[in-house]
Amino acid sequence: MSVDARQSFATLRMPSGFGGLLPALVLITLFFLVPVVALLLRSVTEPEPGLQNYAALFGDGTYARVFFNTFLVASVVTAVTVVVAFPVAWMLAIMPPVLGSIVFGVIILSMWTNLLTRTYAWMVLLQRTGVINRTLIGLGVVDEPLPLINNLTGVTIGMVYIMLPFMILPLVGTLRAIDPMTLRAAALCGASPIAAFRRILLPLSLPGIAAGGLMVFVMSLGYFVTPALLGGTSNMMLAEMIAQMIQSLLNWGLGSAAAFILLAVTMALYALQLRLVGAKRLAGGV
Amino acid sequence: MTQPFLSIRNIRKTFGAVVAVHDVTVDIPKGEFLTFLGPSGSGKSTTLYAIAGFQDPSSGDVLLQGSSLLSVPSHKRNIGMVFQRYTLFPHLTVAENVAFPLRVRRRPDKEVKRKVDDMLALVRLEGFADRRPGALSGGQQQRVALARALAYDPPILLMDEPLSALDKKLREEIQAEIRRIHRETGVTILYVTHDQEEALHLSDRIALFKEGRIEQIGSGEDLYLRPATDFVAGFIGNSNFLPAECLETAHGSATIRLADGSVVSGVKANHSLSRGQKARLMVRPEAFRLTPGASCAELAVEFIDTAFFGERRRVVARTAAGQEIDIRPTSDAADGHGGIASRSRQVFFDPAAAFLFPA
Repeated sequence: MSVDARQSFATLRMPSGFGGLLPALVLITLFFLVPVVALLLRSVTEPEPGLQNYAALFGDGTYARVFFNTFLVASVVTAVTVVVAFPVAWMLAIMPPVLGSIVFGVIILSMWTNLLTRTYAWMVLLQRTGVINRTLIGLGVVDEPLPLINNLTGVTIGMVYIMLPFMILPLVGTLRAIDPMTLRAAALCGASPIAAFRRILLPLSLPGIAAGGLMVFVMSLGYFVTPALLGGTSNMMLAEMIAQMIQSLLNWGLGSAAAFILLAVTMALYALQLRLVGAKRLAGGV
Repeated sequence: MTQPFLSIRNIRKTFGAVVAVHDVTVDIPKGEFLTFLGPSGSGKSTTLYAIAGFQDPSSGDVLLQGSSLLSVPSHKRNIGMVFQRYTLFPHLTVAENVAFPLRVRRRPDKEVKRKVDDMLALVRLEGFADRRPGALSGGQQQRVALARALAYDPPILLMDEPLSALDKKLREEIQAEIRRIHRETGVTILYVTHDQEEALHLSDRIALFKEGRIEQIGSGEDLYLRPATDFVAGFIGNSNFLPAECLETAHGSATIRLADGSVVSGVKANHSLSRGQKARLMVRPEAFRLTPGASCAELAVEFIDTAFFGERRRVVARTAAGQEIDIRPTSDAADGHGGIASRSRQVFFDPAAAFLFPA
């Protein structure tokens, strides 16, 4: 009865329908949909009407390598982020709340620090004469400086660091919802810690991994700053290529087509995840 | 010399300065249903967790058929457990949940399938094999948990307040199921609860916990009819405690003076009480009679409220000393409706059925 009362109270006070969405809709239409449509139009009209820009992107081996590299970096970054984020998220989920909020604060603080600053910091750390290489040589672990920058390693390190919060946050939510008693039950059922992780904890945390993973993967696909500063010329990513086409080569048609492909891939991935999560809910699962 | 099946030896558990379990020792024969009963914080769950391997005791030992369990990690103890909260694996079906302990033991598929069918039949959930735990009621979930805990034929089954999240009717239904399953499987069960009715209904023996120690261990009858301390008398069954003064004791029998000045002789006294010592006389509400009988003591009371509860009446009465007591005479013992309703009257009790404890 009190729920009913609360509901009718809510309908009394809140404006009904989609009226509340209007400001956001106007903003998105003006500053997102219109430019995206303009971009799409440019990709099929410049320098002349037709699909030649797309044909060029799909037909050329150089562009294909950039696409491949983009997906490779995004995949590696996502995988490494999951592996690094999982133990952190687990610790956060089982920590006493006070300690947990401190660690949480540290993670959030790193998100709020300027991206460029953090990336330059990695340049200092990773370069041939950087802190890491000098320490390793000083300790006698390696004789030659390790190639940590201007390659895939550098991009991965820099991007995983930036992406971690986006993976940890959704994962903590999922892990907190798992009753630790469930794991004790698994142990008493005879599951070793590894079996309990593989058969119980991992499947139960999949929604969080999927949500965080998609976020990280999609953000990585379009990332510009970190690959540009820490990556090498041989493994250029899509965002760098788009910037180059538009800024240096003034080829708006080709740049727009590449940007549009990136957008389409991103939306396709999102649709796929919606479908997977939706299907799981329908099955009455988690 | 026979060695006990499961032996809990001087278990002590401290959390910092807090002592959760002082010193618990108990031997459990094979096939027994033993209940750890007690108020919350009395150390019963902590003792159970020491057996499960979730919390190692600070000192003491747990021996199963003579060998210590303490150095064995939880997943190798081969113990079954049903928890207070629903701990089924939400991403697995009922059948997969029951099969889980067999799968991690890498039993052959055929055996797993047969065992799962047997277990679901045991808990009467045959038609639910393909459901997810989320689609089951609380009572059904606990029955699946029971099936999962018994699937690998563990020598011991631990149950930590498994019915506390269920409503009363369902609780009674599943109590009957647990009794039946105990009878059919012969598994040794250690059961934790704070509900004395549940303990009396289910157990062969009850260990009543108080402040990290076992206050008394025995059958439900022992605890009800022969309580060792006033705590046991107060915890098991209903009880009235009347302040008294000891006048004389001899051969386990005492003469006392109650607060209203009346003198009662022939009271059972297990404790050594000296002359003049303050004491408390415990009389069960159902031990009071409305009509006098042979060798009955009498008590002058004033009836404040009476209610009819079928086979018994429930009367709230006040003694001449101003203490409110609970009286539950059988309904047919009432000398007519007028007798019950009269405000000031005598009630009677057999001193040999009352218990005297030091105050």
